[in-house]
Amino acid sequence: MKIALAGNPNSGKTTLFNAITGKIEHVGNWAGVTVSKKEGIIKKTVNPSDTRITAVDLPGAYSMSPFSSEETITRDFIKNEKLDVIVNIVDATSLNRSLFFTTQLLALGIPVVVALNKSDLTKKKKTTINIANLSAQLGCPVVETIAANSSHNGLETLISKVIEVNGQPQTAPFSDQGVDLKNPQSVEYFDTQRFEFVKDLVGKVENRQIKSNAQTNQDIADRFLAHKWLGLPIFALVMWSVFSISQTHLGPILADTLVGWIDGLYALVEGLLGDQVSPVLSALLLDGIIGGVGAVVGFLPLIMVLFFLLALLEDSGYMARVAVVMDRFFKKVGLSGKSIIPMVIGTGCAIPGVMATRTIQNERQRRTTAMLTPFMPCGAKLPVIALFAGVFFNDAAWVGTAMYFTGIAIIIFGALMVVRITGEKNARTFFILELPEYRFPSIKRAIVSTLARAKAFIIKAGTIILLCNAAVQIMQTFNWQLQVVAEGAEQTSILAGIATPFAFVLIPLGFGVWQLAAAAITGFIAKENVVGTLAVVYGITNFIDTEELALVAGGSDVAGIMGLSSVAALAYLMFNLFTPPCFAAIGAMNAELEDKKWLWGGIAFQFGMGYVVAFITYQAGSYITTGALGQGFVYGLIACLALFGALIYCVNQGERKAQQTLALYTA
Amino acid sequence: MNQAVLNFLPARAVTWLQSKNNSNKTHPAAKNLSLAEINKEYVIEDVVAADKEIVNFLFTLGCFKGQTVTVISLLSENYVIAIKDARYSIDADLARAVLLL
Repeated sequence: MKIALAGNPNSGKTTLFNAITGKIEHVGNWAGVTVSKKEGIIKKTVNPSDTRITAVDLPGAYSMSPFSSEETITRDFIKNEKLDVIVNIVDATSLNRSLFFTTQLLALGIPVVVALNKSDLTKKKKTTINIANLSAQLGCPVVETIAANSSHNGLETLISKVIEVNGQPQTAPFSDQGVDLKNPQSVEYFDTQRFEFVKDLVGKVENRQIKSNAQTNQDIADRFLAHKWLGLPIFALVMWSVFSISQTHLGPILADTLVGWIDGLYALVEGLLGDQVSPVLSALLLDGIIGGVGAVVGFLPLIMVLFFLLALLEDSGYMARVAVVMDRFFKKVGLSGKSIIPMVIGTGCAIPGVMATRTIQNERQRRTTAMLTPFMPCGAKLPVIALFAGVFFNDAAWVGTAMYFTGIAIIIFGALMVVRITGEKNARTFFILELPEYRFPSIKRAIVSTLARAKAFIIKAGTIILLCNAAVQIMQTFNWQLQVVAEGAEQTSILAGIATPFAFVLIPLGFGVWQLAAAAITGFIAKENVVGTLAVVYGITNFIDTEELALVAGGSDVAGIMGLSSVAALAYLMFNLFTPPCFAAIGAMNAELEDKKWLWGGIAFQFGMGYVVAFITYQAGSYITTGALGQGFVYGLIACLALFGALIYCVNQGERKAQQTLALYTA
Repeated sequence: MNQAVLNFLPARAVTWLQSKNNSNKTHPAAKNLSLAEINKEYVIEDVVAADKEIVNFLFTLGCFKGQTVTVISLLSENYVIAIKDARYSIDADLARAVLLL
């Protein structure tokens, strides 16, 4: 038996889905978190019967008349899939709007059960709903639910009702017989009637003590949190707290402990292997696998704390307010206020960040956001930042902060360019966003979501990163004749052979060394790989503990191991952060951009950006610190000028298009 | 509709307005949501925007002719409005598209 969960955005479909299936899909307190359908089997605790029920969680929709892509998915799915029962999740606090969709679902001929969700909130608002009457009026069972609660949530009753109505006929309370779906006027007429029907119905079943348009405490909170000027420092403070807790306070404390365990494992395995094992195998196991993967896993606590705090933030309802505060600024550069949500999520991971762009209605704004979100340093880039800050800058806090601000600056610049290239500088866009109610974020949900992320991270470390590090170790150990590379002849290894041509291009950026080029290349598979590969190629297993680095370097300048100046190191860090993201994120970009021209344009922009930023950092930095320009200045300058030329050409084309459109409108 | 007014509107809006309005009623002087008083309930006269999608979308939220709307507050140049028991934040451009009686 198959059931679908359908309802308005932010009515709690995914929370209910997770509660009945035991899955851990991503939830957040704003409209449009779920962007594609998800399936799961309903667990025994809520479904004690023998019937096996598959539940499908659908993206939210306000109606069956499509407006955004999510609503299209919902409509197509409900119409095409052979569903046995539809569970309509209705936000009990806004019946007047929600039941519009309900009456449309009831007309499909598939039995419907209404889950009157957030029923705890109605009590708080002194609103009473006559459930029996509502059920009678709609002609379907209505069950009060609180999906966010772990007990007394009404879910068991809901599922038993689902089984009860399975196979029963469904009658529609509102008939739109005679509607001509091809004629907008006819559809509008019937939909107006439908709203009238709902209004009458709600008038009969609902008793509201406080009118919904009266000012509430929530509105007062909004006045501060989304205040024209106050809203900005509040947002800055919130984000600063998130990053400082995860990266300088709680995160590193936990990370140190974990690194201690990894070191212990290294020593243990080293002892177990003894001297009898071949040096190649022991190097592969110790440096390649434990060292490389360990270097990455050591940063897990930082990332987990970050995800935990972001989950709390998403759950609170604050993100929608940030979108409101940022709208007027983002509008100036051609983005939407909603673009801030993908970017904040992108500080955790670019993939959900890019997917969160789907709530942005305007196509250009959506695509631009999807293309630029990966410039926000994500959780996987944290190890890279932490490594370079630790090794070259004495753990200075400004390094991390500067990376985020550089990311923001690039996003603003990129948005300004894209709006000009597309020739939509003068185009009008609208902003509308539902303001969800604030709620105290659930610690339990945040923990569950953090653990899910941690699991994914560990799986990634245990598969892709492990394989990469093993491959890097092997390619470094052998030369093209498949002989073990002799000491002092590292540049004859396969890895050096592959990476050297790339290194050549990187000379003007200050890091034209094959080891660093190899690390940057493996970074495209997963950004943590940069750290893993560096650990392998330089034979350093503990990157968080700079004392050990000093030890490896024989007490000399730690930076000496990599043969980089601080300026070149900063350039290398920026290059890794601001080139295209990992392949998985590029895949997400591809899915959201839905256009090859945009995808390749985006990747080209990201490559060009990484190159130019690193070039400027290295050359200008060298000039400031040493009084002389760095290596390969002229070649790099030519490359950068060519990139700028291409950008200016595209912008000019777009400007011309904009002028033509303008001329067309005013003609 | 006055020709001078038409000249300043985007072409799509003009054709759309013409197709919709057989009468010679004009909207520019009408009161819109951006001029509404806070905490006062208004009845919507019409929703007029060049972008048909946004008009349809507002419709599905219950924001269309004959329905009531209240401005709750003005936040960061956005209007917080209450329609059908829910709160939305809309920008000034969209607020101007919602004409009031």
